[in-house]
Amino acid sequence: MSTPVTTAPRRRRTNPIHWLGFVLVGVIVLAGLVSFVWTPYALSDMAGGRLEAPNWQHWAGTDRLGRDLFTQLMIGARIALVVGSGAVAIGAAIGITTGVLAAFATRFFDDALAALFDILIAFPTLLIAMLVVAAREEASLGTAILALGIGLSPVVGRVTRILTKRILSQDYITAARVSGTSWPAIVFWHILPNIAPFLGVNLALQFGLAVMAEASLSYLGLGAPPPNASWGRMLQEAQSTVYTAPWGAVLPGLALFTLVIGVNLLADGLRDRFDPTQRGA
Amino acid sequence: MKPTPHARHAASRLFSRSIVPALTAVSALSLTATAGVAQDYDPTAAITIGSLYEPQNLDNTGGAGQGINEAFNGNVYEGLFVLTDDGDVAPKLVSDYTVSDDGLTYTFTLKDGITFHSGDPLTAADVKHSIERVTAENSASSRKSSLAIIDSIDAPDDATVVVTLKKPSISLPYNLSYVWIVNDAATDITASEDGTGPYTLQEWRRGSALAMVPFEGYWGDAPTNDGVMFQYFTDATAQNNALLTGAVDIITSVQSPDALSLFTDNPDFTVSEGASTTKELMAYNDRIEPFNNPTVRAALARAVDNEKLLGAIWGDYGTLIGSFVPPTDPWYVDLTGVNAYDPDSAKAMLAEAGYPDGFSFTLDTPDYDPHPIVAQFLQNELAKVGVDVSINIITANEWYTKIYKAHDFDATLQEHVNHRDIVFYGNPDFYWGYDNPEVTQLISGSESAATIDEQTAMLTEANKIIAEDAASMWLYLYPQIVVSTSNVTGYPLNGLNSQFFAADIKKAD
Repeated sequence: MSTPVTTAPRRRRTNPIHWLGFVLVGVIVLAGLVSFVWTPYALSDMAGGRLEAPNWQHWAGTDRLGRDLFTQLMIGARIALVVGSGAVAIGAAIGITTGVLAAFATRFFDDALAALFDILIAFPTLLIAMLVVAAREEASLGTAILALGIGLSPVVGRVTRILTKRILSQDYITAARVSGTSWPAIVFWHILPNIAPFLGVNLALQFGLAVMAEASLSYLGLGAPPPNASWGRMLQEAQSTVYTAPWGAVLPGLALFTLVIGVNLLADGLRDRFDPTQRGA
Repeated sequence: MKPTPHARHAASRLFSRSIVPALTAVSALSLTATAGVAQDYDPTAAITIGSLYEPQNLDNTGGAGQGINEAFNGNVYEGLFVLTDDGDVAPKLVSDYTVSDDGLTYTFTLKDGITFHSGDPLTAADVKHSIERVTAENSASSRKSSLAIIDSIDAPDDATVVVTLKKPSISLPYNLSYVWIVNDAATDITASEDGTGPYTLQEWRRGSALAMVPFEGYWGDAPTNDGVMFQYFTDATAQNNALLTGAVDIITSVQSPDALSLFTDNPDFTVSEGASTTKELMAYNDRIEPFNNPTVRAALARAVDNEKLLGAIWGDYGTLIGSFVPPTDPWYVDLTGVNAYDPDSAKAMLAEAGYPDGFSFTLDTPDYDPHPIVAQFLQNELAKVGVDVSINIITANEWYTKIYKAHDFDATLQEHVNHRDIVFYGNPDFYWGYDNPEVTQLISGSESAATIDEQTAMLTEANKIIAEDAASMWLYLYPQIVVSTSNVTGYPLNGLNSQFFAADIKKAD
């Protein structure tokens, strides 16, 4: 970085591409929220024709059973957001707790937990999630969320551990200890607020991964069972008719793409804003 | 079993392995031997068949699924009799047989000069062993109960088998067409084979392909091709693409009408429609509440618009039959009028049966097309009469262990491929547990019928009763569509019992 460092960093203007991220995610969130109060048709309404192309009655066309695809896309948005947020929440709860504990633990436990994170990261999230689903009697929305949350947790744990260690080595932590602050208070007053921005970026990226993984699980028949609409299952069901009715596969694919790219752009924007190493770059 | 040089040669071509130079010389000899006569097809061509039904193992008494019948019936293993593609029962390994006047003793004379792939000659002891494999305690053969009437099997000499029955069985030859004749010295039938058929198993790659090469010591006519490979797909679209790109020559069953649009009106492909015996059905566990009540089952049958379902899945193809018996069975009658679609009467009947507010059940749904989409259709249709269906997606393996073996289910979806399989309703121990003494009586009694006409009359009656009883919910009869590249001919069209005789398939250059 050859630019001279100024003592008072200017607030950088947000890159317009990050606004695009905001808009893309906004569209999907809006569709998901609206689906709670209104959809063009009921999910179980099979009144349409077989594989209608997009038209004025069915904006995204219909599937083989004559169900409205736009309705399924809207409800699919809701499911994607619920599963994505739920999985990230569970992943964060497990990951942050174990990560902070590792950073505070004795050398032995710290090493053991760090190794465990590394081992678990070596398994693809989807594989861990499939194992969790297989261990449960029946697939359900809750199982899918839990499975993906557990699958994401080692990544969060590893990032948390490293960030926490960095904060712990700061002088103000020593100062806080000397002034008699308890460890729990240090965690809540000093560590979590300081790692939050970095962790936030990481969790946003994990959200994108969770959405993709949910679609994969549903595609494989391991996700939330019908009647929950899922983009992954829409893709799977459209597969046998992809030549005669390509919109059935293209539209859920596009929705998935929109949400994941949007979340990634948003995460990028967050990092630009909060990560000091990126500032002024 | 040690592969013959000929077999190894085909191996290298079927699996595109590098050809070992030493073997090429040997195989060139075997090629000149067969290519003596000028023909309109290439006898050295190997045929690749695309299929969606990979067997779970290689033993048809070990719950291997329909795929093993497709690959091995008539190709690797043969029976005493064969069910031809036209639905006739013809002698295969027997040269002659006689039935005693009381119908209780069958005497079979085996053909001469038949050897197993291992080189052992076929003897009466092998036949006895093979039939006993099917009727054994731990056999999972779907025809086990049909052969339970066998009292004893004797082998007075190597060429004669005497089967004594507990009661007369007019369809014994038919049922024996299901029984593979396996060498009694063979040890591992689940992963290898020792049959008498025109092909020997050359390699089975789990999850991918099963290759067979001609057996040089075959007793009958040699195959008109130099081997077949079943290439397995888990997904119909991938299978269709394989045919389009020339990776396979034939696909044994097309799974959606949408895929057909790729092949019809295209001179490079031949689309043929035969007679199907594959029935899509929702089987209830008839042992448990509320499905042990025929009124409930009849009500559910009336709540579902089968015609709309068939149209959704198959477009203009397929047939409604209203029961479990397809038109190719002699005891077929059109029963679509029994418990026809009528949601209003469905609600009334549910109320009459004590479920005015409906009930809920779990539908175990195999994870491959069309079952998940059919499950959603049923979920929507039954919701309209207040019945709440939860869909539980399971794999084919789980279906076999949880449902077929353990009978641990409320209701399930399945396609039943067999010809003449109404007999399953006469077996109260079958997975769906339908137990109506009158039907059991008719089905077992029809075996003692003196004439085919009498047997047909009794089974037609049984067919009508199960329809009125709504023993299961029969959704539709699949169409049977085979698509091949236009230079391939001679393959079976009907695929009865999902058999796929490969020996007459010819491929032109």
